[in-house]
Amino acid sequence: MLYCGYLLMFGVVVGMAAVAANPSPFYAALGLVMVAAMGCGFIMCLGGTFSCLVLFLIYLGGMLVVFAYSVALCSDALPTGLAEGSVLKSMVGYLGLTGVVALFQQSSEAPLFWWFVGQESEMSVMQGETEGVSEAYGSGGILLLTCGWALLVALYVALEVSRGCSRGPVRPIK
Amino acid sequence: MSPYVLALLLFSLGLGTTMTFASSHWLLAWVGLEINTLAILPLMAQNHHPRAVEAATKYFLIQAGGAAVLLFAGTTNAYLTGQWDIQQAAHPLPIAIITLALALKLGLAPLHSWMPEVFQGLSLTTGLVLATWQKLAPLTLLLQIQPVNSPLLIFLGLASTLIGGWGGLNQTQLRKILAYSSTAQLGWMVLVLQFAPSLTTLAILVYIAAATATFLTLKLAKATSINMLAISWAKAPALVALTPLVLLSLAGLPPMTGFMPKWLILQELSKQELAPTATLAALTALLSLYYYLRLTYAMTLTMFPNNLAGTLPWRLPSHQLTLPLACLAIATISLLPLTPAALALVAL
Repeated sequence: MLYCGYLLMFGVVVGMAAVAANPSPFYAALGLVMVAAMGCGFIMCLGGTFSCLVLFLIYLGGMLVVFAYSVALCSDALPTGLAEGSVLKSMVGYLGLTGVVALFQQSSEAPLFWWFVGQESEMSVMQGETEGVSEAYGSGGILLLTCGWALLVALYVALEVSRGCSRGPVRPIK
Repeated sequence: MSPYVLALLLFSLGLGTTMTFASSHWLLAWVGLEINTLAILPLMAQNHHPRAVEAATKYFLIQAGGAAVLLFAGTTNAYLTGQWDIQQAAHPLPIAIITLALALKLGLAPLHSWMPEVFQGLSLTTGLVLATWQKLAPLTLLLQIQPVNSPLLIFLGLASTLIGGWGGLNQTQLRKILAYSSTAQLGWMVLVLQFAPSLTTLAILVYIAAATATFLTLKLAKATSINMLAISWAKAPALVALTPLVLLSLAGLPPMTGFMPKWLILQELSKQELAPTATLAALTALLSLYYYLRLTYAMTLTMFPNNLAGTLPWRLPSHQLTLPLACLAIATISLLPLTPAALALVAL
């Protein structure tokens, strides 16, 4: 179980490095899928089953799909894939950086690269995490509306900034 | 821009700052800061010019990075002290991280490099919003954290007054000068933060009045560089006669209002037995005074050589509201005698 969590965390970091290595948006979205899926698995290991479900349904199934459709509309003829030289160099650099940070995390009971500490607790009926979500919908009140408003603003901001597609200033980057 | 979208964005700007003001939880403070960042992006990029979009991109990356570090520090604080309250005493490590994150968001030296480039890409109105409204929320958070990291705050303050003064010396573009000016003024505010927070409040209020007056003057004169300032005297002679006083108020020269915060801050620093700090702050203010004087010289004190046809431009009817400019210019010039009342107002 510990090993499973370790692998999932590793997958999260590799996915983030793939996003940061500046490929074309299609492949960056692929990296985001990897981050979300691996992170979701890790949250599940820690007991947060509802968050995990929400992440998959709303983030991947809602936001990322809309993003993918929008990006496909202003599509790139020759997208920079993940196997391009510049992208690979950036990825190796970022993974090296995380490796350096990981080297500093050593301790007596967690020698080289085994510093990941699992948190296993007993099964409980009262899940703090699901309680939190129901609180936000119940006594949260205005906070829920504010979060919804923030999402709406984010949508309008994205639409306004990218207005005009290729006639405007936002262009596909090589 | 569609008026509905503009209304939504302006409302969100207000909502974000208000949320950060009203929150006692680090998460909600972060939400307010992020809403502010998001809402101003289309306003910055609204004319879809590549330079404006570049400024918006740089602003977004800096602010998002600062907000992420702030959230990380809030989470670390929750892990170390067990609570999320902003006003409860926090662990020193998150305090230091929060101070640096807010310094990045405010544009304090040595985290100031984004300011001139972002300001240069914006219209004067959006630059005004960036220099005044967007400073309120991070400054509020800085005012509330305790116990403060004293050497860090003094270092940020002195570095900002020094680099804000020094960096603006070589600029001819007015928006970059105002960016460095903003850094320098924020340095003064941060210097006195740990000793007399009411003086920080006073300083930001006086700065908002003075900066708004300056930006609105430049907008009316349609001037974005010193050369354009030089030919603006014929557009609004009465305004051009008053602008030196507004600029020197920004510089902190008596008898204008801008002297008030600097005076009181120097007094407070001396009371705290930080005489070298106070001296250094006063000396670095001389650097900014020089470029304010240069603007004054170019605009009012000198008539640049020009042919006769170039001296008098067409004065077309302006659609700019002049009441805010008039009120703020008078406030910036003449409110120094009200110092005791101002102190009573901000003593929170």
